[in-house]
Amino acid sequence: MSYTRRDFLKATLGASTMLSLASGAPNILVRAASAGAARRDDRDTVLVVVQLSGGNDGLNTVVPYADDEYARNRPTLRLQPKDVHKIDSYLGFHPRMEAFSRLYKEGHLSILHGVSYPNSDRDHDGAMRDWHTAEPEDPNCQTGWLGRAADSVWHTNRKDTPAVFVGPIVQPFGLRAEHVIVPSIQSPDDLTLDSTLGESQPSERFRADKDNPLLNHLRDCTANARANSRRIKAIAKAGASTAEYPAFRLAGTLRTVAQLIRADVGIRIFFTELGGGGIGGFDNHANQLGNHCSLLGHLSESLAAFVYDLEKDKLLDRVLLMTISEFGRTVKENGRRGTGHGVSAPIFLAGGKLKGGRTGSHPSLTDLDNGALKFHTDFRRIYATVLDRWLGFKSRPVLGRQFEPIDVLNV
Amino acid sequence: MVGQTEKPPDPRWAWAAYEPDADRPWNLAQAGHLYRRAAFGANWEQLQQALSDGPQRTIDKLLRPQAETAQFNRTYDEYEAATGSVDQLRAWWLRRMIQTPHPLQEKMTLFWHSHFATNAAAVKNARLMQQHVGLLRGQALGSFRILLKGILQDPAVLLWLGAEANRKASPNENLARTIMETFTLGPDHCTENDIRNAARAFTGWFVLRSKLRYISREHDNGEKQILGRSGNFARDDVTRIILEQPATSRRLVQRLYRWLISETAGPDEALILPLAESFATDYDVLKLVETMLRSNLFFSPAAYRRRIKSPAEFALGIVKALEGTVSTTQLANDLADLGQNLYNPPTVKGWAGGQHWINSTAILARQNLASALLRGSGPYGDKLNPWGIAQKHGCATPESAQSFLLDLFLQGSFGPDVNDALLKTRGRQDDDGGGRTRSLAHAIVTLAEFHLA
Repeated sequence: MSYTRRDFLKATLGASTMLSLASGAPNILVRAASAGAARRDDRDTVLVVVQLSGGNDGLNTVVPYADDEYARNRPTLRLQPKDVHKIDSYLGFHPRMEAFSRLYKEGHLSILHGVSYPNSDRDHDGAMRDWHTAEPEDPNCQTGWLGRAADSVWHTNRKDTPAVFVGPIVQPFGLRAEHVIVPSIQSPDDLTLDSTLGESQPSERFRADKDNPLLNHLRDCTANARANSRRIKAIAKAGASTAEYPAFRLAGTLRTVAQLIRADVGIRIFFTELGGGGIGGFDNHANQLGNHCSLLGHLSESLAAFVYDLEKDKLLDRVLLMTISEFGRTVKENGRRGTGHGVSAPIFLAGGKLKGGRTGSHPSLTDLDNGALKFHTDFRRIYATVLDRWLGFKSRPVLGRQFEPIDVLNV
Repeated sequence: MVGQTEKPPDPRWAWAAYEPDADRPWNLAQAGHLYRRAAFGANWEQLQQALSDGPQRTIDKLLRPQAETAQFNRTYDEYEAATGSVDQLRAWWLRRMIQTPHPLQEKMTLFWHSHFATNAAAVKNARLMQQHVGLLRGQALGSFRILLKGILQDPAVLLWLGAEANRKASPNENLARTIMETFTLGPDHCTENDIRNAARAFTGWFVLRSKLRYISREHDNGEKQILGRSGNFARDDVTRIILEQPATSRRLVQRLYRWLISETAGPDEALILPLAESFATDYDVLKLVETMLRSNLFFSPAAYRRRIKSPAEFALGIVKALEGTVSTTQLANDLADLGQNLYNPPTVKGWAGGQHWINSTAILARQNLASALLRGSGPYGDKLNPWGIAQKHGCATPESAQSFLLDLFLQGSFGPDVNDALLKTRGRQDDDGGGRTRSLAHAIVTLAEFHLA
């Protein structure tokens, strides 16, 4: 266990809980837990992905309010300069994203402009699949980039689960792995032991067949599962009421993620979702304004609650959150006060180790790709950045080739 | 079973039929081992019957059951045909595994499902998926030659591999690659050129409105070179050529070894070779399975508990032992959460299995599933009643039920201190045995040993 983790657990649970965790557990648990810590990945950083399903309208998220082309193309959808939360003399956050504006000023939020990929798909399924596989050129790719990342750090003695999906929808394809099982959970309860029938405490003494490697792995995992379950229960008891989260589904999901980060159970990748999956809530071909506004409110406030919750417990430096969405939308609004499928959009990063500010220029509103904002940054460069520089996984085997990382992290 | 050192066994000894003797007696542990591998576990009567029948007769029954398997399968085929969704197909399959008079057939169907891994989410057609698994079941213990031919003609497989249109102008290499690299020879036994030429031989075959069609003008009639042979080959020539390659039978025997014998270490080449040579002569799956199940090696420490149960084997092991039937709709969902979503293997390579099934989260979810199955309330109701089963088989007190359940689930081989440890199991102590026995059963099936097949 690293210094910060031990420090934190002590601070949160109090020395007595730490003591009871240690003394209540049979020796095998304590030994297994420390052996596990020694074998853990070198880093303890955590990646949280928030998928915005449906194709987020970047133009009405980070708004070029001072651009005449924006006003001209968006007669009914345009957001007024007086309402946006100004970043500079050209750009501002959507009026409902006050929380993002605050995070941005504090350096806890970065904007990456103009992100997409060559020959991008404008069909929901196709585009989302490309973002999930990170292999747009291979229609037969059967694994997701985070599934491959999880596979890449698997070894025979590994006890921890490297990645989980948190949410009520079908697990997104990005987590599809060839070898590792990536669980889907909805609350921390899904990772605690049901003790209706009691918790047996098998001792090691009576076990024969000590040279069976499968049996040893099973015993290690069983001990680890018990220890993790206790930690999650203890965290839930100790800190459930202190952090304030708004009553949005995404906020509840991120609260669960925060609880699991706090419980320190070795999960490195969390995948979450906003918009409902499938052709999600961000797909606004008609009457976009109200719906989009509400979703951005959910995103901005849920994410801010998550950041402040982690910051309070000095865990923010271990966490990097990124948003993804299958595409941006057309610059020009359609005749039904909505927008069509586009190309590039901004990606947001949040966390405690960001350089902050904006990266890349805002795409031109006149030099377009078939009515949509052109891209200048391949999303796989961001994937490479989080794999190589944040998680400490090797990106080349996961992404098939080396993409140039982007200098956005303070690590 | 314990204490014998593991050195590479002599192949002749390994594959000769096991004959019980004083050193290696036929006992409850061996009978339980056989039923875990050749079925989904056993109930008490089956274990007792096996003890009195001896190994050969027990294996006869597992390989060629007297009961009306054909009639059973027809009935279930009809149930399945009446469903419109893959969710229901999953539930019917699990019910088959529980109820079938021929569990080895379902066990091998599951083996082929992971071998010819085809994913329903990609096929998007429940009827085609039913036909696909029906094909696997029909040849589960039949002919690998017929099975492979069937796979190449199976609309579900072609749709899954994006090979619904095999045009002369653009042969589908994914189909050829998967057939050769994943389903038969293995990646090191064919070249890119072999794959390209096999793809040309497959041209002309289409899936149109969910049916296989041949359009002769789309077939490439040119000369092809495949695995050192040349000629104007068509689809069936490719299967013939693939089956002539020693790499094919070797790979299949290796895979079945992992399924029936051991997952711990790659088997010695010398061990695989005699079976592979024999398998290559007729591709008779039943004969191969029979050789493995009857063998000295199968009943040796090299095989005993040297496999990790898949989630289905874990759950059904509890259900079968306790002689109940639970909601398989719920069970299919719970197994998917444990990583085994029937009809939806993750990739064309199937489930990796072995230690990949197990990490801390998976163990925790298995324990919670066991609790849900055994607690007598909740989604699974009270279909499983360990105390009732213990009483049925002659136990009068919870203490005697405990050693009965240890024999039933794990066939002993533990010292008396296991009993002591389990007796300390917390749980409801205030009733006449029902609640306590549920806690004991849970404590037993959550022991690490129970996760091993």
